[in-house]
Amino acid sequence: MGAGLSAAEMQRNYVRVFGALMAFTLLTVIAAKLVHFPESWGDASTVLHVTIGIVIAIMKAWMVVYIFMHIKFDNPYLRVFIYVPLFLFCVLVFALTVLGGPTL
Amino acid sequence: MSSALSLAHEPVTGIRHGKLGMWIFLASEVMFFSGFFTAFIILRNSNLAVFAHGAAELNWPLAAVNTVNLIVSSLTMAMAILSLEHANKSRFQLYLGITFLCGLIFLIIKYFEYTAKFSHGIYPGTSSFFGLYFTMTGFHAMHVFAGMIPIGWILAKSFTKRGYHDWERVEILGLYWHFVDLVWIFLFPVLYLIF
Repeated sequence: MGAGLSAAEMQRNYVRVFGALMAFTLLTVIAAKLVHFPESWGDASTVLHVTIGIVIAIMKAWMVVYIFMHIKFDNPYLRVFIYVPLFLFCVLVFALTVLGGPTL
Repeated sequence: MSSALSLAHEPVTGIRHGKLGMWIFLASEVMFFSGFFTAFIILRNSNLAVFAHGAAELNWPLAAVNTVNLIVSSLTMAMAILSLEHANKSRFQLYLGITFLCGLIFLIIKYFEYTAKFSHGIYPGTSSFFGLYFTMTGFHAMHVFAGMIPIGWILAKSFTKRGYHDWERVEILGLYWHFVDLVWIFLFPVLYLIF
């Protein structure tokens, strides 16, 4: 597996992704526990914390899917199994939050 | 390639049936967990104080340890598949063994988290936050446990005389295991961190 990449190259890919996942985990903990926005920001600070947490999680998930789950190297048809559920999930969240009343 | 397409492969895409089946299953799993995440969003929006109070009760350092735990197990799973593909048996057993161990440690930590909550009188019925906390992490822990069964079975089989050689099958198991890691990647910030 790995579109002509040698075992050593694949291993290097895996270890790089592992390092990035660890770094992002540290980053998300720091952003949530050590970074405090000014009191005067009120609700905006909560929104910012949620956004940072989710964006970091999405980047981590993308790396897992792309490298660990071989989507980068595997049959391109398999990508449909990422995009379809992702799209449905986004529609669901959009419908429930943006269209569905007060949000935060 | 076309002559090599047999019953083992889907005829249009050329994807192995087992792998195609696993991806279809994983897509349905995304929808399964989406239900909980959307329930979380809706209930949180109408009970912000309850959710912030509930999340403050959680032990986030333990969850952070478990996050690292699952990331390590994902790396070793990927390395185990690579090792088996290149017929490196001892490396395969080492990596798969670590993967199994990480799953076990994850469940043990989860057990201590749950019992700590129970001893403080916190149960799934305590609040809407804890109802979702126990449901989401409970279903996730069940997925970890379910993944450990075939991992343990393949590991045991690799020690037998005949050994275990079907790396493409372990790759399919790996897809499932990485997905379980992926769900935790979202559960960790959503439940423990963002309040």
